Amino acid sequence: MSLVEQVVDQLKARGGKPGEFKEMVSVTVDKETLVDSVEAAKNAGFAMISDIFGIDYLEYPGHQGKRFTVAYNLYSFEKNERIFIRVNLEDGETLPTITHLWKGANFMEREVYDMFGVQFEGHPDLRKLITPEDLDGHPHRKDFPLGETPTLFNDGRFLDPAAFRAGMTGESGGLTGFTGGARKGVRSEQGREIISHETTGEGGQT
Amino acid sequence: MTMNANVGAMPQATTKEGEGPFETKYMRVNVGPQHPSTHGVLRLVVDLDGERIARIIPQIGYLHTGFEKTMENRTYQQGVTYSNRMDYLHGFGHDLAYCLSAEKLIDAQVPVRAQRIRVILTELNRIASHLVFFGTGLLDMGALTPFFYTMREREDILDIFEMVCGVRMNYGYFRVGGLSRDIPEGFEGAVRSFLASFPAMLDQYSTLFENNDIFVNRTKGIGIITKEQAIDYGLTGSSLRASGVGLDYRKAQPYSGYEDYDFGVPVYPTGDVRSRFWIRFDEMKESMKIIRQALNRLEPGPVKDPDRRISLPPRSELENSMEAVIFHFKLVTEGFHPPRGEVYVPTESARGELGYYLVSDGGSMPYRVKVRVPSLINLQSLEPSCIGGLFADMVANIASFDPVMGDVDK
Amino acid sequence: MALADLFTHDIQELENEGILFSNLEKLIAWGRSNSLWPATFGLACCAIEMMQSTNSRNDLARFGSEVFRASPRQSDVMIVAGRLSKKMAPVMKRVYDQMPDPKWVISMGACASSGGMFNNYAIVQNVDSVVPVDIYVPGCPPRPEALVYAVMQLQKKVRGEAFDERGVELPMVEGWSR
Repeated sequence: MSLVEQVVDQLKARGGKPGEFKEMVSVTVDKETLVDSVEAAKNAGFAMISDIFGIDYLEYPGHQGKRFTVAYNLYSFEKNERIFIRVNLEDGETLPTITHLWKGANFMEREVYDMFGVQFEGHPDLRKLITPEDLDGHPHRKDFPLGETPTLFNDGRFLDPAAFRAGMTGESGGLTGFTGGARKGVRSEQGREIISHETTGEGGQT
Repeated sequence: MTMNANVGAMPQATTKEGEGPFETKYMRVNVGPQHPSTHGVLRLVVDLDGERIARIIPQIGYLHTGFEKTMENRTYQQGVTYSNRMDYLHGFGHDLAYCLSAEKLIDAQVPVRAQRIRVILTELNRIASHLVFFGTGLLDMGALTPFFYTMREREDILDIFEMVCGVRMNYGYFRVGGLSRDIPEGFEGAVRSFLASFPAMLDQYSTLFENNDIFVNRTKGIGIITKEQAIDYGLTGSSLRASGVGLDYRKAQPYSGYEDYDFGVPVYPTGDVRSRFWIRFDEMKESMKIIRQALNRLEPGPVKDPDRRISLPPRSELENSMEAVIFHFKLVTEGFHPPRGEVYVPTESARGELGYYLVSDGGSMPYRVKVRVPSLINLQSLEPSCIGGLFADMVANIASFDPVMGDVDK
Repeated sequence: MALADLFTHDIQELENEGILFSNLEKLIAWGRSNSLWPATFGLACCAIEMMQSTNSRNDLARFGSEVFRASPRQSDVMIVAGRLSKKMAPVMKRVYDQMPDPKWVISMGACASSGGMFNNYAIVQNVDSVVPVDIYVPGCPPRPEALVYAVMQLQKKVRGEAFDERGVELPMVEGWSR
């Protein structure tokens, strides 16, 4: 029984839900059992923390459940195995800190706070890490704009960079105006159905 | 916007325990973002007790570029132009990590020749990065000459890169699925002549500072990080190996053919600045071994994944095949669509563990790009190494962790 | 050569003897242009190429930039090398203000000149909005030879030999015309 399987069983006993994708094992736990789960993983053998990061699933097509996910990337040097412990939360919820387990989690949690607005209770120094002091908001949220300035050409034309890319997501025709055919993997819009990434079956390969 | 009492201003200057009617406050010194010795725009707020450092607070973000959010608005293939500008000294390392993640996501088969060329270029870039480390690290300690010596060798490596992809730095050579084009004819000869001349240069560098009293006094026993502290603070890379933990992802979780090569991983037990300097010296020698072995095994073959869904078809095919034209059109205007999922591939960059966590929603652009950058996490280790030491040793400490601010601030 | 010869002899003859005629402005401009000391303001990748331009292969010191002064109070030109983030912009303005007149700015690289490939919330899209720029250097990153060429163009500008496309002389110090 490998270390990952041991820890997955331990976490399942605490109510965690395992998942796997291309040999990467992850366990989704609740907010209340988060610190216990991470500590159990650490004591079982995952002695090194690689990363703590957040994902905002606001615009993920077909996503059900809470908006944010904070994932803890743990690694075991002796057994050479990796596990991801994930916790889902809504906007405004706070998480307990794990800086008492690893001091290195300090900057990682600060970055998640800075980029997503997730507050960590008990963190010794929760401040913005990377963005300027006068920047209001949390840049990696999907409703925070990228902030592109349009390009002004010498002859007075304005080019909006977002218009270039709209064609690539399939949301609009973009600059070429091409909207026909099987555009796959589009992001959802109100009322529009989501086309899956499988082929349409009419010979329209990509 | 979501401020509460938990989130506050920077911690106040530390106060010593009161001695009678006096209360000592530590002096707060700002080592500003524009500074010759902070390896870029790093700001340190240091509380000093005389000459000893009581507290050190790195303030970062002066080079924040919004890489991750920008890469979420570009296709996968365009992401390669962004990845090497993060850690500009080991650009190929970032390119390799990003390409590996994207290739795992889309299940691309990278041909063997492309893997070997990638390894050669990444290791050459590692040597170049360590040369800059030596040059600037010793420059910070006051030695001017080694800078010019190491830059001389770096120019030779940059000539090789220019021969391959046309740019000395910030390359656009790797593609998801392989390489953009094959290497030119003179590549092998240039690399071999570099490998032949470099060991003599390495000896030259070591004579410059190996037994120099100033260097030894400034680095031996300074800034010691124990094994437990290193793991506690999340340190990775050469600095971790200098503290006794032999973690190298090229050996632990090999990628891109590293399992075929025979090379050692130097590990030093002491954990002081001197070992962090010498470990990179030894790593340069190991990198040379890898390059030699990879070069000897180069066989002719394709350099791109032949799957037309990922790589552009060769131009000759565009004249004959309608399908090739359609593939070309889709790939250029839209890019490929990986299946939904999340991947993470850890690699070993010159600074530590580097990995790109890619979340795909089935579209042509990644939904979320999270870069696990080594320098940001390594920067926290300034605490155990600098606190208690002299202020003048802080410069040697910063240099020994080899931070690159583009990597830190993303 | 007697002192009276200065007034009777031809200028060509006097020059052969080693006596040159100029005016004070040209002399000072010549001195200034050949000893431009840059302030270290390397931010990102372009900073590495700036460092490479000072190494033995591309030697910037032979054009007068002998040392890169760490203190802005002792420097003439600020080479903004790299992408300027919005958090760093006030710091850069402060460093620029601390430089004594006359001072020049070279905006090195695509990111400093126009935001480069980073058109987003974090990068200042043109350094000219913070400090007055004299010379723009394109490239990502510009080769050290390109930076050396830029320094030479700046030297021409300092001497008053720079003209725009309509033939109007460019001001010697951009900051004085703002």
